Amino acid sequence: MPAISLSVNGKPVSGEYEARTLLCELLRGHLALTGTHVGCDTSQCGACVVLVDGDPVKSCAMLAAQADGREVTTIEGLAGGEKLHPMQEAFRDHHALQCGFCTPGMILTSVALARGNPALGEEDVAKGLEGNLCRCTGYRNIIRAVMAGAKAMREQGDV
Amino acid sequence: MEKYGIGQPVRRKEDARFITGAGTFVDDITRENLAHAFVLRSPYAHADIGRIDTSEAMAMPGVLAIITGADWIAEGFAPMPTKSAVQTKIDGSKLNQPPRHPLAIGRARYVGEPVAFIVAETRAQARDAGEAVEVDYEEREAVTDPAKAIAPGAPRIWDDIEGNFCLDFELGDRQATDKAFEDAGHVVTLELRNQRVTAVPIEPRGAIAEYDSATGRYKLHNATQNVHANRAAFAGVLNISPDELHHIAPDVGGGFGAKNSGYPEPPLLLHAAKKLGRPVKWINDRNESFQSDTHGRAQDSKVELALDEDGKFLALRTATIGDIGAYCWTIGPFTPTAGSARTQGGPYYFPAMYYTSRAVFTNTMPLDPYRGAGRPEASFQIERVVELAARKLGIDPVELRAKNLMPADSLPRKTPMGLDVDSGDFPKVFGRTLEMSDRAGYAQRVEASRERGLRRGFAIAPYLECTGGSPKEFAGVKFAKDGTLTLSVGSQSTGMGHETSMPQILAATLGLDIAKISYVQADTQATPIGGGHGGSRNLEVGGSAVVTAANEIIGKAKQIAAHLLNSSAEDMSFADGAFADVKTDQSVSIEDVIAASLEQARLPGDMEPGCLDTGAIFEREVISCPNGCHAAEVEVDPETGAVQVVGYWVVDDFGTIINPLLAEGQVMGGIAQGLGQALLEEIIYDPESGQLVTGSLMDYALPRADDLPAMEMEFFEDAPTAKNPLGVKGAGEAGCCGAPPAIVNAVLDALAGDGVTHIEMPLTPQKIWRAIAEAKT
Repeated sequence: MPAISLSVNGKPVSGEYEARTLLCELLRGHLALTGTHVGCDTSQCGACVVLVDGDPVKSCAMLAAQADGREVTTIEGLAGGEKLHPMQEAFRDHHALQCGFCTPGMILTSVALARGNPALGEEDVAKGLEGNLCRCTGYRNIIRAVMAGAKAMREQGDV
Repeated sequence: MEKYGIGQPVRRKEDARFITGAGTFVDDITRENLAHAFVLRSPYAHADIGRIDTSEAMAMPGVLAIITGADWIAEGFAPMPTKSAVQTKIDGSKLNQPPRHPLAIGRARYVGEPVAFIVAETRAQARDAGEAVEVDYEEREAVTDPAKAIAPGAPRIWDDIEGNFCLDFELGDRQATDKAFEDAGHVVTLELRNQRVTAVPIEPRGAIAEYDSATGRYKLHNATQNVHANRAAFAGVLNISPDELHHIAPDVGGGFGAKNSGYPEPPLLLHAAKKLGRPVKWINDRNESFQSDTHGRAQDSKVELALDEDGKFLALRTATIGDIGAYCWTIGPFTPTAGSARTQGGPYYFPAMYYTSRAVFTNTMPLDPYRGAGRPEASFQIERVVELAARKLGIDPVELRAKNLMPADSLPRKTPMGLDVDSGDFPKVFGRTLEMSDRAGYAQRVEASRERGLRRGFAIAPYLECTGGSPKEFAGVKFAKDGTLTLSVGSQSTGMGHETSMPQILAATLGLDIAKISYVQADTQATPIGGGHGGSRNLEVGGSAVVTAANEIIGKAKQIAAHLLNSSAEDMSFADGAFADVKTDQSVSIEDVIAASLEQARLPGDMEPGCLDTGAIFEREVISCPNGCHAAEVEVDPETGAVQVVGYWVVDDFGTIINPLLAEGQVMGGIAQGLGQALLEEIIYDPESGQLVTGSLMDYALPRADDLPAMEMEFFEDAPTAKNPLGVKGAGEAGCCGAPPAIVNAVLDALAGDGVTHIEMPLTPQKIWRAIAEAKT
């Protein structure tokens, strides 16, 4: 079994895991970080998106071993302590979630979209979220939330 | 203190856990000594099952148990129940209902039907062992098309059911309708399909079963929409009393009808948990979900509209073949029969209507309600035939609709389908939708599209639907010494925000701080009854139960207030969270009355601490009629057939709006699913082999963020219903009723100049491109 060391939400994690262990299985099963959700098996739905070295990655399509030596951020590690991340606040303020299952992946993808484009527009958001499926909201409130969250991130110098 | 009233856009309480990853979905739950199950499913649409050899699989690492159909039958368990409200054929005889067990018994009848249930130490081990189970299948000819299934010579799915026929159904006045057609100035006929789709909640189905040998009781955490009805169903299968099963739905990641049914996996899990003495978990993967989640729609209809010389509607006649799959499932026969009949004709004034249908078995995954369950089908049928009639008669489709809407002064009215339409103003809602859609600027927009090589089209689609689901609901309120209270309701949110809207109603009625109210749902120990989720029923019956409970609390609290103020209950008024003596003007706050209700010393002698705790049941007598109007503008690229919805306007009459933020969310979500049905989604089985062609998210197209237009919406609140104390009509399914006809008719309007008059849903680029090409030749 390969030995893996990585950082998850700023904390070091190391251990030996079966080679076929997916990153989402490591996070959910071994580390009990169940905010990362699995909604499909063909890397279409995006519920499992986490940030790996800042990039949005579908954790169902990455082996835990591939995350060796890297920094992983999950939804549980996005907020700084008690204070919510501006993207989390924006999702609540704009009713951008209903059942909440796709939400962690949506928020993390959105954070990466905002950081990757200081001039993020609505069309960029709609295109940028193509890899994240939501069946409840009809997406428009998500787009509104991401625009507001990105603005707040820019104001806080997080972009 | 946060005080919120009815009608305010209160932000959701439940979001705090969902945006931080702290929600608890069923796969997030774990247990000591947890075992994992895998369902081995039939790879054939129709096959006899011979010997099942489990010896090699049983010997594999970690394997704990394997259950086959023969093992299951040997336990003496009962079949799963069917609870369709329609139980008889037109001739009065009972519907044909084959037995349905959790595992295929001797024969598999659809791809994905469970054949064996494997339990192992890990999910991977269970899955690996599934591959080592040897099943002798002898393939039979399959039939997946309902029209072929009832044609002579079709393969028989059930040996004792002739013609794969479940039941037939009729509603309305056949003679009056036929007469109207004979006398009509114009008759317009359209054959159309509401294609088979599936709900695809992003959280797959799953459950964990536990058995306590000391008490003999079972516990089931299940991603379901309906804990009480399914507890009864599973207990019935296992020959136990419902009291022996504690059924809980944790956070559920969407349902839309597909998590309502009595599915096969939970009884298998419960049995395995008892047999092994260990908790057992099962989670469907997405590919299995396409095979084994119930499907929806799947109706082929012939719709006929009779009009007089001036374009007034005289009669509507609809004949439907409803595909219900290989079994009756939970309420499969209901949707293509009564479920689709009630709202025939939509919001139009029809002197006569006749609806008839046949429900038919095929070698496919069975059908059960999907968001709307019959009403979207009916709405699509009427709106498509009206659009075609306008074109054939050379009348503006807006004008033809406007002149045939039920006038406001014709309400209350019972339609020829027996639907009690008590309130609304359809012409006003229609007119307002037209206003919002900026018809004045339309010609210019058409020209701008044309300059870019695109066709622009517009359509308006008024709709009338109705609520459904269990008519009874319970609400319970318990007060604690720290000033907090718990509200428990038997309806269930799978994303709709009841944790906010229901406390909002209670807080508004009692004048309390919403932050003090915690909410409990979906637990058979928390409420004595519960109708779960379905039929846009929550506010109508659940919300009304909360109001009923709150009014009982106010009644009891008046006695306490009177005691505290040395007055009499008859002299107590209640407003803005305070009780006042109408004679002396002395008053006491509800918080103080609640505090007093928990101390014997401050209570009248005949009352005891905890006396304000209340449980109330509301039962609706007549279903409500949500209605409204959608309008869509689309651009079609004739070179590629690609459609973009570029404008969308909605006015909905849901009666009183409790929380506009949540109501808008329901409308937008419904439109997205309606857009999916109109343009993208279809469950396809190969007609020869019966294999599921659209078995993954790579084959089945869900709407994505860039498919949805900005939507402008308003609510019409001037005609609340008197059928319930809140005046609400239901909001959850309306979007699915309005969107498919608005979008499809707008596309066909864009292609009118090309001579295209009809394309079956979904209107994919390929179909549109072909239709344009074929119209040219």
